[in-house]
Amino acid sequence: MELFLQQVFNGIMLGSTYAMVALGLTLVFGILHVPNFAHGNLYMLGAYVTFFLISLYQFGFWAAVISSMVILGVVGMLVERFVYRPLIGQPHINMFISAIGLLILLENSVAVVWGTSAKRIPHPYPDTVHLLGITTTQQRLIVIVAAVIMIILLQLFIKKTIHGTTIEAVAQDREGAQLVGINVNWVSSMTFAISSAFAAAAASLMAPIFMITPTMGALLVMKAFVIIILGGLGSMQGAILGGYILGLVESLGGGFISAAYKDVFAFGALVLILAIKPTGLFGKESN
Amino acid sequence: MLKLRNVATNFGNSVIIRGVSLEIKKGDFVSLLGSNGAGKTTLFRTIAGILKPCQGTVEFKGRQTNRMSADKIVKLGLSLCPEGRHLFPQLSVHKNLMMGAYIRRRDHKGIKRSIGQVQELFPILKERKEQMAGTLSGGEQQMLAIARALMSDPELLLLDEPSIGLAPLIVKNIADKVKAINEMGTTIFLSEQNANMALKITGRGYVLESGSIIMEGPSNQLITDDVVRKAYLGA
Ligand SMILES: Nc1ncnc2c1ncn2[C@@H]1O[C@H](COP(=O)(O)OP(=O)(O)OP(=O)(O)O)[C@@H](O)[C@H]1O
Ligand SMILES: [Mg+2]
Repeated sequence: MELFLQQVFNGIMLGSTYAMVALGLTLVFGILHVPNFAHGNLYMLGAYVTFFLISLYQFGFWAAVISSMVILGVVGMLVERFVYRPLIGQPHINMFISAIGLLILLENSVAVVWGTSAKRIPHPYPDTVHLLGITTTQQRLIVIVAAVIMIILLQLFIKKTIHGTTIEAVAQDREGAQLVGINVNWVSSMTFAISSAFAAAAASLMAPIFMITPTMGALLVMKAFVIIILGGLGSMQGAILGGYILGLVESLGGGFISAAYKDVFAFGALVLILAIKPTGLFGKESN
Repeated sequence: MLKLRNVATNFGNSVIIRGVSLEIKKGDFVSLLGSNGAGKTTLFRTIAGILKPCQGTVEFKGRQTNRMSADKIVKLGLSLCPEGRHLFPQLSVHKNLMMGAYIRRRDHKGIKRSIGQVQELFPILKERKEQMAGTLSGGEQQMLAIARALMSDPELLLLDEPSIGLAPLIVKNIADKVKAINEMGTTIFLSEQNANMALKITGRGYVLESGSIIMEGPSNQLITDDVVRKAYLGA
């Protein structure tokens, strides 16, 4: 029972970061209708920025996390402006190619500048806590709480404010959005900023727990795609729920069946859910 | 209020609008008649800034708008209720209206007043307030599209074939409402294949064929014109 709860807890923690990364990916997908393959690399870059702010400039943990979110927000806006916007209206394959080009560029730049060896952010909250019969670190608890708060804030922003709703409006009907006077370029820019800042936050929160390497984003972005397909493309609830499902499947499968195969469970869950519901959990029937 | 001089618009290599000139004055209610593929939608999208003309100028309230982006043109006071409606299908009726008022989002009192006005015009929108726009019937969606276009409080409203695909009774209802909107002071440019309906409610009309204006005049003269009767009234 204790092991089970421990794995559930770890699954929720993993799921929290997956949900944040998948949310960012699904928002951008809704706006561009093209998958941003470089999303995992923005996540990786966010972890590195936090690492260097802490180790080189003696930033406190939270100051570093917030600065990293701001910096990656700006990077996201630049990516939108200079990589994707010029390709709007061209065949989709052009954006695919650009996304992969950007992915390779980011991964290799980081490897060249900072080396390929794994780095670890010193634990800001190493104390252990006992909770409902399980033992964990404060850091793991913080990951969950911070992620939940940010996910709720983002939902409130999108559902309750007029600026947030412009993101949904552009995703649902780009021309309709232009016709009510929304500046679609500005909304794309804002969406990329939020998406990248969320990736940076997730990466920074996890950085004291796992190692950071230039390739850390590669598998993650695959999983994020699994999540948004599983949740239904373009659906925010789907991305959140899908993130937690994947975290739990991985953690329980890894803990009780085989740790070496934990990624198999993740992709297996995708195959299974799509076999039962081809449009994903919250997917709209195609029209 | 709106002045087009020798406007041409292309799609790739094909010229769709060929040198259109026209003028609409404040308070006017003008129709644009033309059959399938005449170029009505393309002309309206050009005026609204979704498409850019390759030749000629568009002037709205004395300002040249043919290079402006669509969102800036809306801010000047021109609103297009487009063909195909382009509603936000997964947002509620109420949120669609709120987004229609995006350019004056800080004017809370004005927005409330406008919501009251469009709900009075189309009472069904009040009943369906919380329903997703995508689940409305075709006629209801058309009413919502017109209402959303009104929410920016435009001086000039372009309506692209509001009668398309609707039952005669609903067409009659919408025609009455559009006329009422004009009588309340909004200038309207209405594109229609249903020339019979359009000519009954408008004061003046243009006839578009293969991207050119081939005729213009007061609606009551167009309705008796032989060419118009043959081509558009099935006489
Ligand atoms: N996106 C496009 N790409 C290429 N050609 C287009 C495009 N949109 C319209 N056209 C062409 O432009 C011409 C005019 O089309 P438009 O939609 O403006 O006509 P319309 O008068 O609005 O017709 P309808 O009454 O059927 O709505 C048509 O021949 C159409 O095929
Ligand atoms: Mg048309």
